[in-house]
Amino acid sequence: MGKCYLAWAKDPEIRQKGGSGGFVTATLLAALKEGLVERVLIVRRIDEFEGVPLLTDDPEEVKSCSSAHLAAPLNLSSYIPPGERVAVTVKPCDARAIIERSKRRQIDLEDIYMVGLNCGGTFMPVRTMEAVSDLFGLDPGDVLGFEVSKGKFLVEARSGTYTLPMVELERMGYGRRDPCRYCNINIPVMADLACGDAGVPPGMRATFVEILTDKGDELFEAGIKTSMIEFEEAGEEEIETRVRTDRRMSEDADMWWDELSSMIDEVDHLSYYINELGRCIHCGSCKIVCPVCACKDDAKCLDMGREGYRISLYNLIRLFHLMDSCIGCGQCEDVCPADIPLTMIHQRFERRMEKELGYRPGFEMSKPPLQEPEPGGKV
Amino acid sequence: MAIERWEPKILAFCCNWCSYAGADVAGVERRQMPPSFRIIRVMCSGSVDPCWVLEAFLEGADGVLITGCHPGECHYLNTNYHTARRYRLLRIFIEELGLEPDRLRLEWISATEGIKFAEVIRDMTEKIRALGPSRLGPER
Repeated sequence: MGKCYLAWAKDPEIRQKGGSGGFVTATLLAALKEGLVERVLIVRRIDEFEGVPLLTDDPEEVKSCSSAHLAAPLNLSSYIPPGERVAVTVKPCDARAIIERSKRRQIDLEDIYMVGLNCGGTFMPVRTMEAVSDLFGLDPGDVLGFEVSKGKFLVEARSGTYTLPMVELERMGYGRRDPCRYCNINIPVMADLACGDAGVPPGMRATFVEILTDKGDELFEAGIKTSMIEFEEAGEEEIETRVRTDRRMSEDADMWWDELSSMIDEVDHLSYYINELGRCIHCGSCKIVCPVCACKDDAKCLDMGREGYRISLYNLIRLFHLMDSCIGCGQCEDVCPADIPLTMIHQRFERRMEKELGYRPGFEMSKPPLQEPEPGGKV
Repeated sequence: MAIERWEPKILAFCCNWCSYAGADVAGVERRQMPPSFRIIRVMCSGSVDPCWVLEAFLEGADGVLITGCHPGECHYLNTNYHTARRYRLLRIFIEELGLEPDRLRLEWISATEGIKFAEVIRDMTEKIRALGPSRLGPER
């Protein structure tokens, strides 16, 4: 475990506006000011239900983007400009995608500063709008903000505050995206910094920061040097709380995984896959949005056998290719026009590989198993 | 009218430098083998793209056999070690897909081992006969 701090923005305005003490905003500003990076890649809030990627070097724009945005199921790794030093705010899946892409020489990791954000899951914008209107009778336009806190879904609207336990919300089919429900990585341990509110004493406007790499150190130092941030060391109790929160969330995710993926075990695997993948219309969207697919426009997989097979070769090739690199970010499932639970299917294969080979994609720079020889050629 | 009996169909990818010659030797030595296999000669077992294996199953193969040089004897440095890794992942893959993993087999057979080649074919044919037709092939 890296060094842990409780940190916040020195500027009271940023501290107040930021999700938890404005540390991330202040650090990004400091990195720009110190010249560590040329630009920063962040999520811009259009409204409560829409967030878009923003690449900027304007401090004012960075300030306007502070505080978390839950209804932005983006994967920022696809928006990193080549050959430029950037700082990017990353969820665990963004960070893993960046690492996998750098293994495939799509990104130079040297140029990237990853400011990790703890993530409990993202929401589909439209589904969330439906949730607030169906469950609370609200006009989505009247919603000022929503968040998840202590297992509760909180909506703040012009007419007051509305709340519902997350479990109930998700049992009704609203709530987080499916891939987020069963994603058991909440702290981006593969980024340079890991920031979040788990472990922060109640009532304190601060961020719990763990420094994970030398680059993380550089970012933190830049904040101190430009006196953008203030900090204190995290106590044992706070560290303990954070570990406990993380463990609870992972267990919750594993429960969702067992529940959602056991559907496949109940029926015969082959019939399940033939049925689900049989709906594929071969639009290629899943390939285009996939952050770890390195072929992109040059990919030939879509031109291969589509018709007459029980499962098209396109689907089988993608499943096999992603077996050692799928990070479960959920982009494919989000865009699939046939509503195939693609991420779950990819994860079924990936998790099986993980169990057999002990390799987890997106954690460190070790080569993917498919590119490595089998030691001793053992069969 | 005679009832058409199902016979297993095995696609064998044989390395040019070892087992393709091994298959030849098996024939020259008149080893008994069921006529269940079709050979595709490849320059190295490592050139067998996993997609070919998957396509073979989709096209109706009941089993796929990949044969290459013994470890340390590859004509191209260590490419058969890569074959071994792909084979390992493919086994996991087809098992998750719902196909019996025994339908895929990797064997190291040198150019002189005609007897081993014949044995592998006999053994694999029997095993696949017991498993029945592959469910991934085209609808009959």
